[in-house]
Amino acid sequence: MSCEKRSDANRPAAARTGGPLAFRMKMASDPRLLPVVRSTVAELASVWGFEDEQCRCITLAVDEALSNVMRHAYQNRCDQEIELNCQAHSNCLEFSFVDRGEAPDPSRFCAQPLDDAALGGRGTHLIREIMDEVLYERLPGANRLSLKKYLPGAKSKG
Amino acid sequence: MKTATREQPGTTIVDVTGDIDMGTSPGFRKTLLDSLKHTARLAVNMREVRYVDSSGIASLVEVLKEARNKHKMLVLFGLNTTVHEVLQLTRLATIFEIRETEEEALQA
Repeated sequence: MSCEKRSDANRPAAARTGGPLAFRMKMASDPRLLPVVRSTVAELASVWGFEDEQCRCITLAVDEALSNVMRHAYQNRCDQEIELNCQAHSNCLEFSFVDRGEAPDPSRFCAQPLDDAALGGRGTHLIREIMDEVLYERLPGANRLSLKKYLPGAKSKG
Repeated sequence: MKTATREQPGTTIVDVTGDIDMGTSPGFRKTLLDSLKHTARLAVNMREVRYVDSSGIASLVEVLKEARNKHKMLVLFGLNTTVHEVLQLTRLATIFEIRETEEEALQA
């Protein structure tokens, strides 16, 4: 798997013609794994047909979501499990994160007002700014965050 | 993520290489704050920064606040597209002194 994102406007998104794709990662809540996930997500977004800027944004949103799980759900413990599911559909990429940590404070999902130079809360803002759909669910003993990004023209962000 | 510190007349320059994320931002923050203690002007060379997330931006904001509190100057230079995009998305592009080159940063 290449860690370099290719930028070739002429390369067709041939991957999509073969039908949907899915893969699952079970990873430790260790920040040292963030670059590994970023490389995977960046490559997936690229081969699925997103432009370079969108690839970078999608990678950032996934990274921010994982960081939030590590920091808040697991209180910076590095030995807990996070399940990251990626589904590549014909018109979008979908990511879901499942953890068995603390339930988040609902008020944090409102994100930080960005007019002042506050130190926290920008990760949530970035996720909402970048992704077309963001859904949080509290499951029995677990949290699930789902993010969806549509290919250009597939659906307008509401 | 790696950092290296060097001096120019009147300015301490911190050269940053690699990714600034949740794992590396604490070290990044510490290096900048430590450097700021000993200089009136801190310039951060971001030319080799491949990736920065909100924790990296938060570190920069914290250093900026400290610089302002101490009446010191913080300037960033060499920002690539990725870093610019994150600053734009977090609506913080206008609060920092940003320059293209080291020369411009030294003259800011």
